[in-house]
This record gives sequence, structure tokens and C-alpha cells, in this order.
Amino acid sequence: MSREEVFEKLNAVFRDVFDEESITVNDSTTADDIEGWDSLEHINLIAAVESEFGIKFSMGQVVTMKNVGEMADIILQKI
Amino acid sequence: MSITSFSFLCFFAVLLVLYYGIPKRFQWGFLLLVSFAWFMASLKTQDGAWYAVLYPLAAVAAVYFAARLIDRTKEQRVKRAALVCAVLFCIGLLCALKFYRLGPVVPMGISFYTLTLLGYLFDVYYEIGGVQKNYGKLALFGCYFPTLISGPILKYQEMERQLFCGHRFDYRRVTFGMQRMLWGFFKKLVISERMALVANQVFDHYESYAGLEIWIGAVAFTFQLYTDFSGCMDIVLGISECLGIDLPENFNAPFLARTISEYWRRWHISLGNWLREYLFYPLLRTRFFMELPKKLKPRLGKRLSKQIPTFLAMFLLWFAIGYWHGGTWNFIIGSGLLHWFYIVSGELLEPVFVKWRSALRIEKTTRWFLWFSRLRTFFLVTLGLVFFRNAAVPDALRMIGRGFSTFNPQVLINGTLFSLGLDWIEFTIAAVSLLILGVVSLLQQKEGVRQRLERRSILFRWAVLYALLFYVILLGQYGPGYSASEFIYQNFRV
Repeated sequence: MSREEVFEKLNAVFRDVFDEESITVNDSTTADDIEGWDSLEHINLIAAVESEFGIKFSMGQVVTMKNVGEMADIILQKI
Repeated sequence: MSITSFSFLCFFAVLLVLYYGIPKRFQWGFLLLVSFAWFMASLKTQDGAWYAVLYPLAAVAAVYFAARLIDRTKEQRVKRAALVCAVLFCIGLLCALKFYRLGPVVPMGISFYTLTLLGYLFDVYYEIGGVQKNYGKLALFGCYFPTLISGPILKYQEMERQLFCGHRFDYRRVTFGMQRMLWGFFKKLVISERMALVANQVFDHYESYAGLEIWIGAVAFTFQLYTDFSGCMDIVLGISECLGIDLPENFNAPFLARTISEYWRRWHISLGNWLREYLFYPLLRTRFFMELPKKLKPRLGKRLSKQIPTFLAMFLLWFAIGYWHGGTWNFIIGSGLLHWFYIVSGELLEPVFVKWRSALRIEKTTRWFLWFSRLRTFFLVTLGLVFFRNAAVPDALRMIGRGFSTFNPQVLINGTLFSLGLDWIEFTIAAVSLLILGVVSLLQQKEGVRQRLERRSILFRWAVLYALLFYVILLGQYGPGYSASEFIYQNFRV
């Protein structure tokens, strides 16, 4: 899977989790950029991303990933 | 030794001279020595036996060996066993000593050093942070003396370099640190001690008050607690800044929060972060909580099936927060479950609120709605603190009942206001000081006040600092040789 494809899938997951069709994520997107991405939604988001790509993040990755770019890097490593 | 006492200031001056006088490579060892001397000194004032120093040393040892084992072994089972043993040991020690009082004393800072050390251990386990191979260095990280007073809870990755690399005397940082301490003294000695008089009067005799008087007392306690705790944090962070070590912020103007969730991101931040990372997330990542939405979805739909597991995990989280604050029901409710109720009902009722807002044509972004939200949040927090401050839950309920029993705005003008522990002069001083605090908090939201001050002319800068210094010296409720809070409470009870 290419990085672009990962981002396309991520867009779909984000739109679903945050109920907002206009969301488009990129490498530097962080929790500050998306309304509703707080510590509660973070865990839901992680779970949704995991089931979309069929992977599992480690606890360390869950708390340390800084932006969507890092998330995509981890996904690319794992699939 | 209280940090608002004169003897502490003398101790601190000597400490600074020695700290910057010795070679950099000895500084961390010196801080370790001071930290344990500080701990021993606290035992003396608590009439505790010297061997209580073994409690923190044992907690450090448990975490030290578990972390080294986790780092060395490849076996996942061994890692997990080491983690579980160390966590149980430390939490067991914390509960036994703090909540069940099974030891000779409650060691100073036990809740803080326990969480700090366990956070480090979890980070090693989750492979977020490195392992510390020097027992002494880990002991300093856990028991660094400013944090023993009342936090903040530290994160190892943020502290590692700062604690052990050594620092050269930096005029700007030391002055910034001292300014921060002065600001803390202002909050604690000028505001908190005055608010305490009103709060004590109303809470201790709530049967003789009703209506607005009750709420004046309750609001006074909210301000007392905030200025006491955050003032203490200012002093602690200031002390550490003087030593060249930046500690994490614990408060960010919590009463500017628009919602209860936001309030908890601004109040006792390091505890909130700790619980989120090491309790809440791992809980939600367990199989039970991961599977729950899938099971609930057919019956409850997408929104609720996602919310219910979160609410359940939050219940445990808020229970833990409440319990951590004191272990009795008034704390579990007042700083725990009540807040859980606020957040959950807020989430569930959000669709209703949206309808109301659109029916009444209220824009969420307007200025008056912002302040309305802030006031509402402040009131909800104050309500929780009525439980927190009362000895037992029935007292709190009775007191809240009395608060709603009558409408008596006349107490603001008929002189009652000045009979609640502060006469009109004292009351004015308190009000003006609170105003200063509010304005500075608002300014601080955009840019640090000390940085702003730094850009002004030297005359203006020193005028402001001296004014604040004399304000604190003249109006602070303290005297040489004894702790400020004891002084107030003693006089008050007589």
C-alpha cells in the first residue's frame, strides 16, 4: 500500500469517527486541528484505525504519536 | 518546614549559593542529598521515626529493579510479572500508609513520588522511555525535593537531561524563578489565607447560614483551594526554575474553562495526564473494552455503543481521582463521581443543548456565551467542592439544601457580607487581590506575564516587582517562625 492510499483510507476513518465529511488529514495534522479530537476520541480513533488496517498499535505508540504523519509511518511499517 | 516560612527562605538562599558553588557534575548528588535531608526534616515535624525514610527508598528500589529486569529480558511474561509486582508493591505501600494509616507516619509526598516512579516504570514497559541504571539518579527523579511538597507528577523523559546534566548560574532564570515564587506567595498568603477565613466561618457553621451566604462561603473555598494549591505550585516551580530545572505546569487558569472536560485539562494537569496515560488508555485498550462497542452496536446504535464503554471506563477513572484525593466518600463524590456525572450528562444531553441553542439563536462563539459557559463551569466545580470541604456527604447535602432554601440578595448590602470572617477593609483587600489574579490569568493566556514585563523599562519592571513584594509583605497573613495556615486556623478557632 502506498502512502497516498494510507492517507485516503485514513481520511475515511477520520470522517467516520468525527462525523465530519469535510475532514482531510495530512502529515502535520494534529489533535488541535480537528474539533472533537480529545483524549476520549483519541482511543476511539485508534481502535477504528486498527480495525481498518488490521493492525495493532502498542501502548507506547498510542500515547507518543505526534501527528497523522507519524501514524501513517507506523501503519506502513506494520502492514 | 513550611515553604511560606522565613526559615525556608533562609534555607533556600544557602541552598542556591552551595548549588551554584559546587562543580556541575556534583549538582545532582547534592540535590539528592538535599531531597532526603528535606524528607528527614519533615519526619521530625511529624514526630515520625527515622526509618520512615525507608519507604521512599523501598519504592525506588522496587521500581529500579523491575525496570532493569523489563529492560534486560526478552520474555514478555517476565516483563509483565516484574511490572505487576512492582506496581502492586508501590500501590500497596501507598494505600497502607496513606489511606489506612498502618505506618508510623504518612511519608511526605508519597502520592506524588509513587505516581512519578510508576509512570517511569510504565514508560520502560511500553518502550516509550529509556531505563535509568543508577539507583541514586532514579531516587532523585522520584524524590526531587520541590515536588515532594505537592507535585507536580513528573515524566522521566522530560526530566532526565535537566536533572542530571548540571546547571550554570543563569541570572535570567534565577530572577524568573524568584518572580514566580513571589507570585505564589501572593496567591497563598494574601488571597488563600483570607478566603480561608470566610470558608471556615461558613462551612463550620453552615446551619446558621442560608441562601447567598452559603454560596459566598462555597465560592470562597473554591478560591482558597485554587490559590493555595496553584500558589504552592508557583513556589515549587519557581524554586526549581532557580535551580535551572523546569517542572511541568500543573495549572492553566482552570476557571477560564468553558466545560468540565476543559477544566480537568487546566486543573492538576500532571495528575490528569498520568491517569489518562497509565490508567484510562490501558483500560480502554483491554479486550473487554475493545469488544464492548461491537457487542452493543446492534442494540444501541453507533453513537451510544461507542459512548457507553468510554463512560464506564471514565467511571473507574473518576472514582480513582476521587479516591486519590482522600479516600472517603466526600472526596470520591466531590472531586470524582460528581464530575463524571457532569461530563456524562453533558455528552448525553448535547443533542438537546444543540436544539436549545438553535431555537434561542445562541451563537456558541459570542462573548457573552463564553462567559456564561465559564460561570456555569465555575458553579459546577464549586458545587463539587462543597462535598470536598465538608466532613461527610450528609453535611454537604444539607449545606447545598440551605443554599437553595432562600433568596436573600440583601446580604450584599446590609452588612452581612462583612460579618463572614473579613471586615470591610480585609474584604476589599481580598477583592482587589482576586481582581489582580484574574487580570494576570487572562493576560497569561496570550503571553507569559514575566516575558511581557521583561520588555518594559527597568524602572517599570522594578516598580511592579517591588510593589508586589511589599504588597505581599504588608498584606500577607503570616508571621516569622510559624506556618501561615496554622496561624490563621489557630486564631480562628479560639
